Amino acid sequence: MKLSTKLTLFITGSKLAVVLLFLLALPFLIKQIESRYTTYTLKQQKKKVLSIIQKNGLDYYFQGDVTYGSYTMLKEEFVALLPVADKFKMDTIADSKRLIESDTLDYKVLSYTFKQGNKNYLLEIGKTTERSDQYNKPLQRFALYILLALIVITILIDLTFIRVIIRPLSRIIKTKLLNSKFPFKSEQKRIITSTTDFKYLDESLINLMNQINDAFYKEREFTSNASHELMTPISVLQSKMENLLAEENLDEKSSIAIVEMMKTVSRLKNITSSLLLISRIENDQYIKKENVNLFMLLSEITDEIGHRLEEKHLQIHINVSQESILKNVNRDLIFQLFFNLIHNAIKFNRERGSITIEDGKLNNGAYEIRISDTGIGIPPADLSLIFDRFKKTNLNEDVGFGLGLAIVKSIALYHNLKLEVYSEVNKGTTFKISKKI
Amino acid sequence: MKVLIVEDEKTLAFEMEAFLKKSFYVCDIAHSVKSANENLELNQYDFILIDLSLPDGDGLEILKNAKMSHPNASYIIITARSNLKDRVTGLDLGADDYLPKPFYLLELQSRMQAISRRKFGITEELLSIGQFKVDLPKRFVLFEEQVIELSRKEFDLLSYLLLHKGRVLTRVQLSEHIWGTFVNDDFDSNYIDAHIKNIRKKLNAWAETEWLETVRGVGYRVKKS
Repeated sequence: MKLSTKLTLFITGSKLAVVLLFLLALPFLIKQIESRYTTYTLKQQKKKVLSIIQKNGLDYYFQGDVTYGSYTMLKEEFVALLPVADKFKMDTIADSKRLIESDTLDYKVLSYTFKQGNKNYLLEIGKTTERSDQYNKPLQRFALYILLALIVITILIDLTFIRVIIRPLSRIIKTKLLNSKFPFKSEQKRIITSTTDFKYLDESLINLMNQINDAFYKEREFTSNASHELMTPISVLQSKMENLLAEENLDEKSSIAIVEMMKTVSRLKNITSSLLLISRIENDQYIKKENVNLFMLLSEITDEIGHRLEEKHLQIHINVSQESILKNVNRDLIFQLFFNLIHNAIKFNRERGSITIEDGKLNNGAYEIRISDTGIGIPPADLSLIFDRFKKTNLNEDVGFGLGLAIVKSIALYHNLKLEVYSEVNKGTTFKISKKI
Repeated sequence: MKVLIVEDEKTLAFEMEAFLKKSFYVCDIAHSVKSANENLELNQYDFILIDLSLPDGDGLEILKNAKMSHPNASYIIITARSNLKDRVTGLDLGADDYLPKPFYLLELQSRMQAISRRKFGITEELLSIGQFKVDLPKRFVLFEEQVIELSRKEFDLLSYLLLHKGRVLTRVQLSEHIWGTFVNDDFDSNYIDAHIKNIRKKLNAWAETEWLETVRGVGYRVKKS
């Protein structure tokens, strides 16, 4: 789930919870407020009654009677005044039920005793409490509507605001993680944001990218330098051996020993040149401006290594369209790529096996070439290792894949070619190369 | 033939000299741009072999200067740098060939021979060997008037041996000349032997080939007649 959605959901949830709590608490709150208000009005009324009595005497109410009682039409309020025993004293406000004209109703009643002349009187002022319940339901409903509307409005506001706030994050992901190709550009643009967390994230990512770049360039430089530095000493060794071998009075044993040494130096030279080639490809030192006719290229390669095919009595079938042209490539590198693959197909083939090279258009329109052999195959566990430098396979300890396939991988990568391999042990291996669109 | 070797790696320069001496080249050695320029002021050379990375400067500078004072000399750039840019610049400046390190001295000598042949316009390229004649530029072998068909690689192999008559060539040297460095990853292969066998078979049908010797454990040699 997206972060903005998650945040919005969470905020909505918490808002709803608060609103619900509020709605549940509403009756209680209303009761509280009303009770306070009632108490207040009762006290005010008491004050008023007492001041009238003060001014006009009790007869203003009694009108010659001994008691006084009055209530409103709906019996929400009543006032009663009656004489009580001298000792009786009261000054309370309490809830009680009263029977008025055959209706028993809940009232909040203020009871107050006072002396007038030498007589003791009780004043009671009542106010119904039943009324408040009538308000609760509609009030709750209205509150619910209003609050829901408010929630919707705030969610809309939240959503836009969250989006705006989070936007730098998606920009960081887009520019730094998704769309950045390795090796990264050296000058990474910082995302403009006022959120320190995002700034920190962006900065950390840029640092990390720079570190990776540094390490990568150092390794590349090292490979290139090391290979270079090895070339001159190898030249010296090789030349010394050549001169030694040309000595007139050299015995056979020594000659053979020198030849063996020359072979070893040649191997060393081969490894060094391969490493240098890979590092040159990685350093973009090749121009990709040639158009290569694949059929011609493949014919040239088979011609070049025909003797190896003959030696193992291998059949080679080339079913490649004569019009297939690879555009904007480096011919030497493409030659090397196919050469290495075919060479591999020979090296790991069985006696009297075959090699098939065919091309075709894929469903997505990409152009693909497949090179299949009937060789020993590669165990699944080794498939991911074969393109690594100097990896030996589990299958055969002596025959490592060396650098041939590492070179193939670098060349493919350099030309944006997709390289895939499928293999079955004892059946054969197929390399697929396709031009991405 | 007089050769100036400009190479700061003294051992290598010495080995180059030792090798070329045997083919009757006379060599001077310079280890820096400065000493190379001194040599160029004092002497005339037929060949100038220049290493590009020198302690006091770039070999390309020597090439630029020397081209003016020694327009008739042939230049071969020898370097471990061997990137495309250097190669193009070198050839643009008038170098005749470009040899990346590490190289076989044999290969160096072959390139020098090829340059000489080009330069002196040797069209009479019919080399005689035994009862055969070999036409290098047109790439065929003749027995009397009969053309003997050799494959491309077989002809390359035979002509390389012929050009280095009297010298034992090892299988590694031969296969590197014919297939280049990268192909050379199975060193105990007998492709060279197979090709030699084929050459002998094809030639033996017409005449003796005892001039093509196998040197046990080392390689092959065309005997000096």
